[in-house]
Amino acid sequence: MRELDYDVVIIGSGAGGGAVAKELAPLAAAGKRIAVLEWGPKLADDAFTGREVEMARQLYFDSGGVLTKDRTLTMAYGRAYGGSTVVYTGTSLTIPEDVVKRWDVPGIEYNDLQRRSAKYIEENNVHKLEESELNDNNRLFLEGCIKLGYRAQQFPINVKGCRSSSLCNLGCPNGAKQGTHRVQLPAAEAAGVEVITNCRVTRVGERSCDAVVADPGFGLPSSWESGEVRVNAKVIVVCGGAINSAALLLRSGYGDRLPTLGRYLTLHPALILVGEHPHEISNFHGHPKSFYCDEFWESEKFLLETCMYFPFITSKNLIGFGAEHSKLMRAFGRLQMILVLAVDPALESNRVLVDRDGEPVIDYTMGPSVLDSLHRSMVASAKIFFAAGAHRVHAPAGASFFIERKDADRVEELIPRSNVIPGKISVASAHIMGGCGMGREASDSVTDSWGRVHGSPGLYVGDSGLFPRASEINPYVTVMALADRVAEHIRDNAGELLAP
Amino acid sequence: MVVAESVTPEIVSLDSGGRARMAAIIDAALMDRDAITRTQFGTFLTVIRLAPVLRFGRAFDRLDGDRKNAVLRWFQDCPVSILRKGFWGLKVLVFMGYYGQEETWSEIGYAPDFDGRAGVRHA
Repeated sequence: MRELDYDVVIIGSGAGGGAVAKELAPLAAAGKRIAVLEWGPKLADDAFTGREVEMARQLYFDSGGVLTKDRTLTMAYGRAYGGSTVVYTGTSLTIPEDVVKRWDVPGIEYNDLQRRSAKYIEENNVHKLEESELNDNNRLFLEGCIKLGYRAQQFPINVKGCRSSSLCNLGCPNGAKQGTHRVQLPAAEAAGVEVITNCRVTRVGERSCDAVVADPGFGLPSSWESGEVRVNAKVIVVCGGAINSAALLLRSGYGDRLPTLGRYLTLHPALILVGEHPHEISNFHGHPKSFYCDEFWESEKFLLETCMYFPFITSKNLIGFGAEHSKLMRAFGRLQMILVLAVDPALESNRVLVDRDGEPVIDYTMGPSVLDSLHRSMVASAKIFFAAGAHRVHAPAGASFFIERKDADRVEELIPRSNVIPGKISVASAHIMGGCGMGREASDSVTDSWGRVHGSPGLYVGDSGLFPRASEINPYVTVMALADRVAEHIRDNAGELLAP
Repeated sequence: MVVAESVTPEIVSLDSGGRARMAAIIDAALMDRDAITRTQFGTFLTVIRLAPVLRFGRAFDRLDGDRKNAVLRWFQDCPVSILRKGFWGLKVLVFMGYYGQEETWSEIGYAPDFDGRAGVRHA
């Protein structure tokens, strides 16, 4: 096995890894050797084709359909130069103060996270789209919420030169989305940080990690030749995303002294709901996600967001099959879509495990409170669709495939809670959090508030795995804020950590 | 393919190229899964084919359209979760094979454009 020596190794290049890489770039410029090891490929700009199956296969783990152990929920998370920031919609919110209080992590203060979030909001060109850039799918959501008296707000998003392709979740074909692949990683590389793609880390230790470089058959070639490699480093920052970071530490043996490793996983279980309008609306042109409704955030534990998905994803999120399913799919140009995010509790039993081969197993159960939230969200969404003018609505837990407009006053009755059946309705997650939670000590958490693994001075975690509970909003800005803290701690202690 | 045609009736009218593309998409998706999942999928297909013998005296392939739908609906709503989840997985693969083809986009009116600004019109 080849051996290479670095001062700092960062595992993963998404919101966390990308932010850490850029913040440590001054060390690289000063002569320290820093490498980012990214499992996924880097695609050339013209390789973003917008073709759903092809892009999902190249940019997501398991094409965006990683299954939980009980197969009632799929998870979508990215595998690419830039991680999930390549495939998110770029919605950029700062974590609410109430959530930080609920996290209750000594050393984590709202004002600190707010300040760091503001830095990334500036750095990644976050702003609100002009009214003229909003398509019908988004405007109708706002109209429906206003008519019902629901609180709705516009998402700030991180785009530059957006051309309204609506293909954000397949990787922007226009290079407009300002993820770490566009901002932090190029800046880090310019300062001397190396980013090695197609490089999967299989084991991590106190001062080294083992990796395998392999060509996936697409994307640009890795800068390292294929094969196994041991990378020695004085500092290692694990930023592989909540699932893979926890799994990496577990298969490396850290679970023996960190009893909460992999536990308290939260997912923001999500549904995609559709309402059909009697006429064409603009939906698959324009940014897909411009508004959210937090009316029910505290009372019923869910958020509603605008969304627009592609044919396959849409089809799998409709309940049923056969002629009525086909009929609704053929109304694609008339569909309004809403994404529901349930705020799930952090439970010790919901966790990442590894199987005998060291592969992650996600043992997660949607409890009654989550199913209640999903049910209530369907009712609220149906009301919004009808208020916006839809002539019928498809609710996965509906008593019938369609709820017609004449029955709009009966949605409570026509969407029975008893029909919210895991394994029948499609539930997905793109907000995967926890498993390497911050806290006080090894008995209650994996890291301290600086992301440093308890008992391992040179080993850090810098991704959404740090969340001790759900963020209750779209999480990437918070990931970057926490990664910023990790990098600051490494910089401030570089003399000791990086001593020969 | 008979089960797939009941899940998405338009598959009946796919030409040989469309069927080949569909099979390729499904095969690729299955090959990305572990061996256990692939085996479970094959077993579940056999269960769907043969389960109607118990109720209708015929295999799935030989049922009329209404009875095929009744069988699939039974699996969809089945109180036995492993059968319910199995059907969910099956229909997801069929949908992927059909709606994942660029060639079917025009059938449903999906026409993405890298420059969609002109399409952001207001109804």
